[in-house]
Amino acid sequence: MIQRHQRIVFWCLVVCILGMGVLLAVGRQRGRQRIEALAAGDETPLDAPTAMAETVTLDLANDADGSIAPASRQIALPQEPNARARALIDHLIAEYALPGSAHALPPGAAVAEVFLLPLPLVGYTTDSSTAATKDGGFRPTLPVGQTDPDPVQPKQPGGELAVIDLHSTFVNQHPSGVEVESLTLRSILGTLHANLPQIEQVRFLVDGQARETLAGHADLLRTYPAADTTSGANAANEGQSN
Amino acid sequence: MTLMGRAQAPQAASGPPAQGTSKPATAPKRPVTAPGKPAAAPAKTATAPARHATPSSPPGPAPIPINRTVIVLDPAHGGVDSGSQISDTTVEKNVTLALAFRLRSLLTARGFSVVMTRDEDAAAVPNAQGSAMTLDDRAGIANHAHAAACLVLHATPSGNGVHLYRSELEASEGQAFVVPWLTAQSPWLAQSQRLEKQMATAFSRAGLALVTSRASVRPIDSLTCPALVVELAPSGDDADSINDTDYQQRVALTIAGAMLFWQNQVQPPARLEAATKEAVGQAAPSDATRTQP
Repeated sequence: MIQRHQRIVFWCLVVCILGMGVLLAVGRQRGRQRIEALAAGDETPLDAPTAMAETVTLDLANDADGSIAPASRQIALPQEPNARARALIDHLIAEYALPGSAHALPPGAAVAEVFLLPLPLVGYTTDSSTAATKDGGFRPTLPVGQTDPDPVQPKQPGGELAVIDLHSTFVNQHPSGVEVESLTLRSILGTLHANLPQIEQVRFLVDGQARETLAGHADLLRTYPAADTTSGANAANEGQSN
Repeated sequence: MTLMGRAQAPQAASGPPAQGTSKPATAPKRPVTAPGKPAAAPAKTATAPARHATPSSPPGPAPIPINRTVIVLDPAHGGVDSGSQISDTTVEKNVTLALAFRLRSLLTARGFSVVMTRDEDAAAVPNAQGSAMTLDDRAGIANHAHAAACLVLHATPSGNGVHLYRSELEASEGQAFVVPWLTAQSPWLAQSQRLEKQMATAFSRAGLALVTSRASVRPIDSLTCPALVVELAPSGDDADSINDTDYQQRVALTIAGAMLFWQNQVQPPARLEAATKEAVGQAAPSDATRTQP
């Protein structure tokens, strides 16, 4: 004869088992619905876009002797020029973040964005020679190119100005010193010049803002010419100037 | 900022002149000063040269004055700006100041007058107590000294030996009547390059590791004198070797020796007469236009 308290325990266990089964089924159903909802809104292509690897030239700096030497790498780059310039600099900085680098820089994303602007730079400014309108309206605007006596002109037709917006995390962690900062800038300038010859001038921003120096030394306020910054080219220039 | 040495000419302004109004006796009509700021006139630097490079020439634009016995030392950073962290216990601003003191003693012993943009941790603008000195203020002090050489002193834990840099600006033929602040170094670049070679030779003879290059480090582009950035790096793998007194003394001795040769070679750039007239001619109509009712 089964005692009464044993029957009560048995039926309690049966109820618990059924309850847990229902709970499991409901949870599974909800999880499936959540995954289906995510899949419906996600437009990520199943296959990543592929590009043919191409040979690019990276101007790599060396802290030991303050030199910059060209090095060839096989890298897949996007075709769009802005993205291409950004990818080039990202690859360059990634080289410096490798262990044993001759110009050690902190790892991580260095460039937020690169903007290529056609030269000469044109824009609009207010015409200061005329008085404001009586009703308090604005002064008329004039194209900058007409009033600027010395506009930034391209050396070649199609010349561009590259505005490189650096991440503050990269800049704040950059080693400080005249040599190390100058080498970073010259390395970027030389790499852009070697692979994107339409870039004639380069300006730097940090988180979208102008900043005085890279890490206390190299001037970030001036416009740099994109040129061959390798040590061989510099030696040739020195010889010509002499 | 201090001046030490013997080059005190009788026509020199003796006391600390008021800011913005002080001019050395031989200063050009429009001295190069920081934009938007009064001239950061050196309190004790308004001294005329003991030996001036004033070659006799037919009437024309006044030659650019230069004091062959005056050297400007700019120990970079200071105050809240510590510069780079050389080691756990050493920061750049202290190394540059120590090297500047050492160099000042050696140069003074060789008969130079030394103008320092700071001789304490935090530099302050002369006659404006409490105002922290900007890089443009430092350039203003250097430009008023009309020195034979301006040396901007830096220090770094990377690399080794001494690094010499001159401005990355493009050289220009002569100095115009109105000097653009951001490219004031252009007419002096040829002289800066000669000074760099002179010092490179001296460092090579001294057996010190040397790197010469070009760099954009403010305020060198605004200096109207033969100007170099001298960056002191450790003598070996140990970053703390930068504090070694023997090493610093060796570097300072080499620089002081090079300056002794340099003072007889420095030549100021010519003034551009055509540019002068052109500049005046261009300025006149605009001024007239502004005065029209």
